[in-house]
Amino acid sequence: MVNLNAVLLVSFLLFSIGIVGVLIRRNALVILMCVELMLNAANLNFIAFARHSGSVSGQAFALLVMGFAAAEVAVGLALVVALYRKRDTVQVDDINLLKG
Amino acid sequence: MEHFIETIGRNLFAIFGVLALAGAVIVVGSRSAVHSVLAFLFAMLCIAGCFLSLEAEFLGMAQILVYAGGIVVLFLFVVMLVEVTKAKEKEVFQLQSRYAIGLVAIGALLFTAIFRQTLFGAASPSALVLRPELAQGLKVAEQNAQAVSRGLFADYLLPFEILSVVLLVALVGAVVLAKTERV
Repeated sequence: MVNLNAVLLVSFLLFSIGIVGVLIRRNALVILMCVELMLNAANLNFIAFARHSGSVSGQAFALLVMGFAAAEVAVGLALVVALYRKRDTVQVDDINLLKG
Repeated sequence: MEHFIETIGRNLFAIFGVLALAGAVIVVGSRSAVHSVLAFLFAMLCIAGCFLSLEAEFLGMAQILVYAGGIVVLFLFVVMLVEVTKAKEKEVFQLQSRYAIGLVAIGALLFTAIFRQTLFGAASPSALVLRPELAQGLKVAEQNAQAVSRGLFADYLLPFEILSVVLLVALVGAVVLAKTERV
């Protein structure tokens, strides 16, 4: 029997760690991984509430979120590779083409 | 010994949750991208353990297949393509890291203050049982995967179909983005 509070706390902390990673890292790959961490925190909430409401909809939604996360990673990694080909870097603060 | 195993079995979610958080911290903090990817794999496996301990067996297995089998391998390949050749990473963290961490900490504290009743308050009323047949020791009428498929293909068929189109678009888009200039 898992306490709902514990699940919410874990997913809250996981989401916070993901936000911190997105904000402080320079490597685009690590930033993508941190976005994945945040999506997984949301999935954890979906499943916890599915379990505690006795309905299965949350699990179906978590599966959909997983599929969208996979699509997002594919496009994001393709962007990283294209960026590396063009600008020879994966550091996000070297990408300042829009800077006036 | 039996008591010990029983305690572990009762706290399976807490153990996997703490391990997943530790893995996430290593993802953010590690200097080398490969170490980050490996810590990410560890965190994903621990989250799959959390799913299993929340009685979402199908999703736990799907998590292992999708993340450990697909996404982590993709990340490792891109790290291999991108990272090794020219590692001119001067600084791992942004200059404004301190302010960013402070901001997130303030936000987290505010969130905790507002939702302290939800996060730390009295234990919520006991969960409804997803599969009453199992609890009553009767013949199992419906497995977890069957229940999920009923939700996915009956109640949420349209989002599922939209997801398939999105995956196709992402596939084509990834190929177009990553292909070299000359054909």
